[in-house]
This record gives sequence, C-alpha cells and structure tokens, in this order.
Amino acid sequence: MNTKKWKNCGVALMMLIIVSCGVSNVVIDGSFPTPNIAKLPIFVAVIYDDALREFSFMEYTETGEEEFNIESGGSHIQLFNAVLPAMFDEVVFVDTIEEVQATGADAIFAPAIEEFQLALPAKTKLDVYEVWIKYNMRLLTAEGDYIANWVLTSYGKTPAETFRSTEAAINDAAIVALRDLASSFSLSFGQVPEVRTWLSNL
Amino acid sequence: MKLYLLIMKHTRLLSASILLTLFVSCTSTTVDEFRQGETGIESDESVVILGRRQASDYETRSEFISCVGEGMNRGENAINVVPEQEFVDAMFPWFEPRTAPLRTQDLERLMAEDVIAEKMNDFGIRYIVWVDGSTVQSGRSGSLTCAIGPGGGGCFGFGTWEDDSNFDARIWDVGELTSVGTINADATGQSYIPAFFVPIPLIARVEANACSRLATQLKEFLIGN
Repeated sequence: MNTKKWKNCGVALMMLIIVSCGVSNVVIDGSFPTPNIAKLPIFVAVIYDDALREFSFMEYTETGEEEFNIESGGSHIQLFNAVLPAMFDEVVFVDTIEEVQATGADAIFAPAIEEFQLALPAKTKLDVYEVWIKYNMRLLTAEGDYIANWVLTSYGKTPAETFRSTEAAINDAAIVALRDLASSFSLSFGQVPEVRTWLSNL
Repeated sequence: MKLYLLIMKHTRLLSASILLTLFVSCTSTTVDEFRQGETGIESDESVVILGRRQASDYETRSEFISCVGEGMNRGENAINVVPEQEFVDAMFPWFEPRTAPLRTQDLERLMAEDVIAEKMNDFGIRYIVWVDGSTVQSGRSGSLTCAIGPGGGGCFGFGTWEDDSNFDARIWDVGELTSVGTINADATGQSYIPAFFVPIPLIARVEANACSRLATQLKEFLIGN
C-alpha cells in the first residue's frame, strides 16, 4: 500500500472515531392502529404548534456530554392523526385559531409536550429501557376561549436485549409510550370533568 | 500436505466443540399445572397468547410469546394461535399494558362492548393465555481475556453463569368468561465459556426449553380430555 492509501485509511479511521464519539440521533418511527371506540358527536379543529411538530429531547451522559437526540415530533403528529378522527365525528387540521371560525368547528384541540424523560439500563441498572412523557392537553372554544386544560402522562418500556442497538430499544420504548398516550387519551377524554360538562351542554 | 493436516486438525477441534455444546450445557425444566375448569377446543376456534407487561422491573418478551405460539401451532394436535401483535392492534386500545384486563371480571366488562365482542368472534378466540415471566441471569463468575497482535490473536480463560426462566401462563375461557387454569414453567441451566485460543460457548438453552415445555403443556391442557 502506498503512502496516499495509508493516509486515506488514517483519515477514515479518525472520522470513524469522531463519529462514534458524537451524539446519536434517534428519529422515532412506528405505526399506530386506529382505536376501537365510540365517536363523540363533535366537530374538532386541531392545531399542532411548531414546538410539538419539531419536538426533540437530548439525553446527556453522566459527565454532561450529549448522548442521544430523540426526535419524536413527527411520530406524535402521526399518532394524533390516527387517533383523533376515530374519536370525533369530524376533524379538521388547521394552523391558527383564526382559521377555525371559517370551518364551523365546535372546539379546538391543541396538544403540547411538557416533559420527556428517558431511562437507560446503564443508568438505572434495570434490564429495561423506559420513556416517560408528560403532556398538556388543551380544549378551547372555536373563539379560542378556555374549555379544559389537563395533564396526561404516558409510559413505555422495552427489555434490554443482546443483539438490539440502544437506538432501536429507545425507539421501541417510545412507541409503547405513544400507544399508551393514545389509549389513555382516547378512553379518558370524555371523563375529564370540564370536558364532560362542556359535552353535556352541547 | 501441511495444509491438509492443518484443516483436519481444525475440523476435529470444531467437531469436538459441537459435541461439547450438545452434551455439556444441561437445562432442567419443571412444569406445574393447576386446573380449575374443563377445557376443549374445536378446529375453527383459536387461542391468543398475550404477554403481561405491567411489572416495573422486567417485561415478558414478545419473542417468548411468539415462540410459545409457534410451538402450539405445529405438530400433532396443532391449535390455531392468533399472533399477539395482530390481536393487540385489532383490539386497540383495550389490550395495552395500562388498559388490558387483569381479571376475568374485567374481561366480562370488556366483552360488553359490541366492537370487542365482534372482533373476538371474528378471530374465533376461545381462550386467552396470559403469559408473565422473564429470564434472569445470576452467578456470573470466571474471567476471559482476548488479545490480538501482529502475529495473530486468541482468547484464554473460563466464564460461567446461571440462567433461570420462570413463566406463568393463566388461561381464560372467553366463552365462559372464567379462569380455567394456570401452568408454570421453570427452567434453570448453567452456561460455560472455556477459551483456549478459541472460545467455546456452551450455552444452556433455558428460555427455549421453557418455551417448548410450556407450549406442549398448554396444548395438552387446552385440548383437554
């Protein structure tokens, strides 16, 4: 091997070392089934703000270095898009409150992520990867006035396995947490006291 | 000639390793059965095996659930088994870890929902089997060192550990909405890795044995008399 080839090998090796020491990007990817629940006879306009659309969480090592960047905004949108049309008679997706009145919707639904936590086996000493997400669910009138504002938490875990990467395990745990959100949100929506009162007055 | 001798020597070493793997790593499995009611299954009826995932420190692996399902679905007196994920997706959100029925009374309430009863009927589900358990590794000892250099490489040392698989299977009769029995499979085995240049893993197939015995016992239990 000539000197040039040795140099190329050296550069490639250095790049490999640099890349392997950097932050790992995990884009949460999965599919979500449609819930089997009775639809509520309401027309809901849904607003996803940029914070939800582009939500990502950075997990740091114990020494404070960036370890995993978890991008879950896209999968949250995908989840709500699958769940909301199964919960309500009619659903429309809009960008701003101003657009809602022209649609004739009964209410506006705007979900937000308040907190995201990740627990790795290396830190918890348990054989499971865990994801915990806290949401703030907001239901407003078509004019943007308050109807209900409630907190919902979701949890997902997946066992540590020998031949599975940490990234794949984080993805699986996050998908379980998202399914947990879909199940608790769809089954508890009508039980939220303010929502129940509003529904009974329709 | 030298090359031929070298190949023969390595072939013998490999054969010896395979034989050792087959004979040395042993597993002992105990299966207990507790019957609470009569069972029987028709050819057009199915079973679904679901993993319990409510425990905080472990999770029943979906691979184990698939393994038991495949074991029941083949051989003599094979039983139709609906794949876990297909069933859970079709029933969404009623069989998620947080919403799944924990007792037969919860199942009774769930079956009152028309959509659930209809889907259960479409799948032809006669029994739901809830499997709960995990495999725990303990007693890890010994040390193994591997090194590589310009002249070659190799491993030296000895490692050993014990695996213990414990799984409970609770069987619910969907027609009668009652619990008809419980089967417990407990398998333990010691694994070894001796290494003299080449590491020879002698792995005890603990979880595979627990799966195979549980599948056989479940099949016999559901077919009944």
